[in-house]
Amino acid sequence: MSNFSFLNPFGVLDEPGTYMGDFYSHNFAKKAAPGNVILNLGPQHPSTHGVLRVLTELYGEFVMRAEPVLGYLHRSHEKMAEHKTAYGFLPNMGRVDYLNAIGWNWAYTAACEQLAGIVVPERAEYLRVISAELNRISSHLVWWGAFVLDLGAFTPILYAFDDREDLCDILQRVTGSRLTMNYFRFGGVGEDGDERFFSLIREFIPRMRERLKMYKGLVTDNVILRRRLEGIGPMDADMCLRYGATGPILRAAGVGHDVRKSVPYGIYDRFDFEIPSYKDCDNFGRYWVRMEEIEQSMRIVEQAVEQIPQGKRIMDKAPKPAWKIPAGESVFSVEGARGEISVHVISDGGKSPYRVKLRAPGFSNLSLFAEASRGTILADAIAILGSLDLVIPEIDR
Amino acid sequence: MISAIWDNLKGLYSLLVGMCITARYFFAPRKTVHYPRKVVDPEDLAAYRGPLELTRGKDDESRTRCISCQMCAKGCPGNCITVVKGAEGKLPSTWLYDFSLCCLCGACVEVCPAAAIDFSHRLYLVTTTREELVMDLLADLKSRAAAGPLKPEAGAPEALEAGGGAAAAAALAEAVKSSKAAAGAAGSAVRKEG
Amino acid sequence: MELSNISVTGLIVLIVACLLVIALMVVNAIVMVYAERKGAGFIQRRPGPYEVGPWGILQPVVDSMKLLGKQIFVPSNVDFFLFFAAPVLAFFPVLILFLPIPFGPVLTALKVPDGIVLILAFAGFGLLANLLAGYASNNKYGILGAGRAVSQGVAYEIPMILALLAVVFQTGSMNLSEIAEAQGRWPWSWNIACQPLAFFIYLVTLVAETNRAPFDLPEGESELTAGFHTEYSGMGFALFFLAEYANMLLVSFVCATFFLGGYKGPFLDGFWWTFIKAYAVMCFIVWIRWTFPRVRFDQLLNINWKWLLPLSILNLWVTAVVLKIVGP
Repeated sequence: MSNFSFLNPFGVLDEPGTYMGDFYSHNFAKKAAPGNVILNLGPQHPSTHGVLRVLTELYGEFVMRAEPVLGYLHRSHEKMAEHKTAYGFLPNMGRVDYLNAIGWNWAYTAACEQLAGIVVPERAEYLRVISAELNRISSHLVWWGAFVLDLGAFTPILYAFDDREDLCDILQRVTGSRLTMNYFRFGGVGEDGDERFFSLIREFIPRMRERLKMYKGLVTDNVILRRRLEGIGPMDADMCLRYGATGPILRAAGVGHDVRKSVPYGIYDRFDFEIPSYKDCDNFGRYWVRMEEIEQSMRIVEQAVEQIPQGKRIMDKAPKPAWKIPAGESVFSVEGARGEISVHVISDGGKSPYRVKLRAPGFSNLSLFAEASRGTILADAIAILGSLDLVIPEIDR
Repeated sequence: MISAIWDNLKGLYSLLVGMCITARYFFAPRKTVHYPRKVVDPEDLAAYRGPLELTRGKDDESRTRCISCQMCAKGCPGNCITVVKGAEGKLPSTWLYDFSLCCLCGACVEVCPAAAIDFSHRLYLVTTTREELVMDLLADLKSRAAAGPLKPEAGAPEALEAGGGAAAAAALAEAVKSSKAAAGAAGSAVRKEG
Repeated sequence: MELSNISVTGLIVLIVACLLVIALMVVNAIVMVYAERKGAGFIQRRPGPYEVGPWGILQPVVDSMKLLGKQIFVPSNVDFFLFFAAPVLAFFPVLILFLPIPFGPVLTALKVPDGIVLILAFAGFGLLANLLAGYASNNKYGILGAGRAVSQGVAYEIPMILALLAVVFQTGSMNLSEIAEAQGRWPWSWNIACQPLAFFIYLVTLVAETNRAPFDLPEGESELTAGFHTEYSGMGFALFFLAEYANMLLVSFVCATFFLGGYKGPFLDGFWWTFIKAYAVMCFIVWIRWTFPRVRFDQLLNINWKWLLPLSILNLWVTAVVLKIVGP
């Protein structure tokens, strides 16, 4: 047993001249300390939410090193933009991040509108805010369920989907679809909300408030969950800024940055809402910030439904599918459910944009994982991964 | 020490609260919709985007309003529409729609000058091959017109009604069959044009 | 009963009892699979199994048919003998553990004077099976799961024994029938009334011993995919599944006998009371499984060594002192 190692406990995998695993795991294993186990979490693993792959070096149950490997869901959205018309690229936006389709809709449409100097009608702005905030709630609900599922409780995800089903019904009234919504148009939105749409929202919000109380009793106050989250996975403000983390992760580190408040876009400056931030930088902070954001989003929706004026859903002479973006360059940032979504459009005035750069918040947020998970135990690393709220299609794009 | 014990007692109480919540939901009514026996309220599908369909003509319900202007085919990001202009007037001779490429974005519906296309509310479309997703919408329009005049503007999902289910399925199968034949014809037509 | 004294009739009784216990284990697994899935469904506001048979009651039968028909997949480089020995070893020792359980006043397979010692001695076999399964299947998740299973099992056996020992002190016997007999008919004369702390400790440890949520770390699916049985398919998996439910049933029966009066109950004593109580404990286990998140591994051991163990020793000590003062 002289050449026994935990890397290769059976002594048959690693013959000279051959190497185990693929390029990544081979290079990762080279740097491993002797006696440590290389564990390949994913791409098919229950808690990587899709096809993220994380290479980990384990000493017992301690994660010594972790390295996310991306690219299993790459669909070259940015390249597609160079071959489609500006309008034809709109449906792609619902597919980049399937949980927060409206946020991406907004970022891309607004970037193009900024370039063309289009002014959106008042009613359309309100409809944009309502749909974006409802979408944020539904995204946070899915995250909540999936995160608690990572921690081992199965029931909450079905309660979350129960509520999300109502949200899907509401959003379907205007967007026509339940997941990959393609709602925004250049100069407005695709459909006007009817009376039933608004009455469904008015019914939904008090119901959701009741449910949030139940969530608090079932999960947030649960002592097992508290001890799994509190003080785990510190990501302080400095670390967040170094890696470019945004959204709830940055806010959980005590930095109250939210594009809706810092650089108000659309009509967000008309609403009264707060940016929750938490100072402990831990998993529970990220949990708490998102739960609080559900409440704040509901406040915004309530105000928007109260204030919405009559008018047109889309501007007169709105751009047609064959519309060409005027030559120039523009960047637009919106606050998505996962953080700051930026879309950078460069146009040379041709049929399709010259270049579209999509800045996905999940990509930057994931880059914190390698540092935050170092030295934690495996179960905590999974919890940290869950707390980052990853949507793999958005990271790979 | 005392505080640790107190914390643990509080923790145990929080566990009890959670158990009470699940116990309450255990006796609460179920939420599931048993699909084949119960379906979604058609009212909730009013804005649902199913596969495209041609709207019925004003005078003759089996005639399309399409004027073969090709705006939809050009505006479509997925290139899923093939319209071939027929011999008589502006009416199309072939109107093929490949649902497997469609992303339901609505560009065609919005751009159509004659309001000839609309989203259907067919929620329960099932096929076993990709070819069946290539639909001949002209044949589909004829079979729908033959099935009966339109009552309200929103076309109720025909396949759902208990009596009409079999008939609708037969019509669909027929439409698919004819669409396959038409697909071949259209292909050759396009080649000739090219 | 000494082994040398077993007569021919005794042997026949023993064989019949073994067959009945196997039947009980299988029927229990079928019933519990259905009950658990239905219970989970109701908690989550969905109907659970619904399509196969009326209210889906044939679902577990169909499931077991499916498991029987599945290919038994053997990964490369496994320890072939241990890989197949592990599921068998997980399932069959549980059979022995059922023999000393007094189901009814006369319905006991083997009247052993030290029944609880037999049960606790053989309970370790399940642990061994988990260890072997994880080790033999040439899978890193399996090894991690096996390691967790062993340290968890070893740790939680101690407070479990100490909690049961308090009852043994009180009764003055290790015979399960005598322990059941010593309790009264009504709930306030059961051992739970005078040993609530021991009951609570036992309740926690039985969840941990059977690897059920929130202590299902050896197979915690969000971390280790399926832990020690990751590589098992078909009947190998089915045997682990059967063993899990059989273990659950066993600890529930022990719980019913030690703390809940065994076969004694209001109005009419009999085996039905044992079954009702044991299945009530099972329902409790199912209920908490679908309510709580999983604890972390170090927390699991901390709960055990820092809280349950001192508490159980304290409980034992107080029991001993009180018994010395008051008399048995």
